[in-house]
Amino acid sequence: MDDSLIITDADFEKFREFFYRKTGIQFETTKRYFVDKRLAERIEATKTRSFRAYFTMLRFEASGEELQQLTNLMTVNETYFFREEYQFECLVKSMLPDIVRRKTDRSPIRIWAIPSSSGEEPYSIAIYLLEYWAGLAHWDVEIVSSDIDTQILSQAKRGFYSERSVSHMPPHLVRKYFTRKGDGYQLSDDVLSAVEFTRVNLHDRADTRSYRDFDVAFCRNLLIYFDDVSRKAAAETLYDALKPGGFVCLGHSESMSRFSSLYKVWNFPDARVYQKPKDV
Amino acid sequence: MGFVKQHREPASALAEASTERRSFEVLAGELQHADPTVRRWAARDLTDCPEASKALVDRLQREEDNSVREVILSTLTTHGDDIAVGGLVECLRSENVSLRNEAIEAMKQLPKEVAPIMQGLLDDEDSDVRIFAVNVLESLRHPEVESWLIAVIEKDPELNVCATAVDLLGEVGTSAARGPLGRLKARYSGEPYIQFAADVALKRLGGD
Repeated sequence: MDDSLIITDADFEKFREFFYRKTGIQFETTKRYFVDKRLAERIEATKTRSFRAYFTMLRFEASGEELQQLTNLMTVNETYFFREEYQFECLVKSMLPDIVRRKTDRSPIRIWAIPSSSGEEPYSIAIYLLEYWAGLAHWDVEIVSSDIDTQILSQAKRGFYSERSVSHMPPHLVRKYFTRKGDGYQLSDDVLSAVEFTRVNLHDRADTRSYRDFDVAFCRNLLIYFDDVSRKAAAETLYDALKPGGFVCLGHSESMSRFSSLYKVWNFPDARVYQKPKDV
Repeated sequence: MGFVKQHREPASALAEASTERRSFEVLAGELQHADPTVRRWAARDLTDCPEASKALVDRLQREEDNSVREVILSTLTTHGDDIAVGGLVECLRSENVSLRNEAIEAMKQLPKEVAPIMQGLLDDEDSDVRIFAVNVLESLRHPEVESWLIAVIEKDPELNVCATAVDLLGEVGTSAARGPLGRLKARYSGEPYIQFAADVALKRLGGD
């Protein structure tokens, strides 16, 4: 690293506080190397030459483009098809039957997957419904998937994946829904068109307030990057995004009960999920 | 039937109203609205109004909807000013168990703001408030936590307060707590629970 690009402890603290305020993402000191490396990369790319100049630009740039670029770099996007598959099983065996039983109109069943990352999760949901939920013949389903990272959203919309991304899927489903292309796999158009991708910062009220009336929200392995205050705020945001009786699925190491009492815990045979009370 | 995409307009007049930044007066009025969803959004949007703590504290004391209370507490935590902290302290005196526990959780998020009043809470004449103050210390990230707890077991005249503090000292204490734990055992030599809890704490601290 160029000497002028050294990030001091004070710089790190200043940046960490600013980034937390903007995104809700809290970097512990143990992430110092990860953060420094990415900051240095953006300082070089923007030719701002020092942390001080870069940080000034980041704070005062009206368009927010650089903040978006940096956020793209700072968020981790690692997932694969059928990751934590037990929750998809729970979706088709328990959650959807419960939702359908309670429905009083023919409006679409709405599913929100956030963060979308590179699309493996929302597309897995679509494939799971196509393969394992007979109700799809009788009900419309809308899958919306959101992420704070605009580059990863573009990647998700392309639907081109590595061998590793599809390695946890049954081979017959890989053959059915993907076409081998060079060193990767291209997802079929009918699955690509099943998901609507949107850019959303879960920490920003302006971004999330129009997200309403979802029956199920998948918010897996995102809250682990947040501190307690932001986790609680995220739980409140999801609460308003759900219909009464709607479900939230978190990652296997996450527990809603640790930071919010808004939801009822459901231990379905396949997974633990959280439900917004039906009578609100 | 199958997959559909819909262009989503705001779901209601409420959502439309919420897309523009609203004044403190409007939001404070909506905090009294009959619909909890409106009150929840008002409480959330009051994050942008630094003068909102009093209105939020007033509502918190009367709010019956759990989901609205959670959002009010989050917003008060974000403000973290004297009025917000004072309002949370008042909740410690409430007979409403949920509200009290929620306030304890909120105060844990405010180490810097709660620290200046912690000694006052630990000296409160109501022993229940002193126990709740010890509960706040449970995950308050503040360097004084151990010394506050030591002061409690050295001085507090109420056995239940000391017992709560001992349990916590076993988790967060250092060798500095060993002497005070020994003295506590002597002070309550006829109380089997204190003997047991202090022994557990001493064991965790590496004492005999």
